[in-house]
Amino acid sequence: MARTGFPGFVLGIALLLQAGLVSAAPLVAWAKLTPAQQEILRPVAAEWDTLPNKLQKNLLYAAKRYPALTPEEKQRFNVKLEKWSKLTPEQRKRAREKFQAFSKVPEAEREKVKQMVREQEAKKAETAAAASSVPPAAPSP
Amino acid sequence: MNQKLQPEHIQQMLDNSLEQIGPSTLARLRHAREQALARHDAASPASGWAAKWHFDTPHYKFRYFAVATVFAAVLFSGMTYWQHVHEATEVDVAILTDELPIEVYVD
Repeated sequence: MARTGFPGFVLGIALLLQAGLVSAAPLVAWAKLTPAQQEILRPVAAEWDTLPNKLQKNLLYAAKRYPALTPEEKQRFNVKLEKWSKLTPEQRKRAREKFQAFSKVPEAEREKVKQMVREQEAKKAETAAAASSVPPAAPSP
Repeated sequence: MNQKLQPEHIQQMLDNSLEQIGPSTLARLRHAREQALARHDAASPASGWAAKWHFDTPHYKFRYFAVATVFAAVLFSGMTYWQHVHEATEVDVAILTDELPIEVYVD
């Protein structure tokens, strides 16, 4: 038993280190974030303290990348962040897989899909605008 | 005369010889042993941790190899994991800044 001591000890330390890194860092409380991080992650402020550890880490990484984004990308990031955080881990995993698969589609095909989505979005916006401009029906006597 | 000695016979003979050793001889043997051990400890700097962890055994090379292999395996799996995590976070940023809405990738 004693003869396996050192390799066992080394293996134990190595596995502990790895486990520590993998499960890594406890949840980061919203109050502990820097003002800059809070500003970027404001769309998820309310639910931040309940988000899974892994998602918090991903979002903190995204916050680090944020200053380098274009204004348009920042706008999209702000709009999508809350919705992204509300997905289940399985949905996020599927979304990553689909995104990566879509990235491999030829540019022309991707552009067609994007055009289609743009048209749908425009139609939705039109419908919403029309619905909000229609005056409420007068109550019948 | 050519009778083959069995291990039990040898053991018996050694036990008998041991009983015949006088106290002064035993004392000299003990003293010689202590001196030899003292010389060995002084001459062997590896008698500390190496002895404790058995790196001074004839199999120490194998032990070094085993430990190095374990370290390499743990290091490799750790690096693979972190690469995977890094890729996932890069994809997250790409999705969040992409022109297409999230629903396209979720449904």
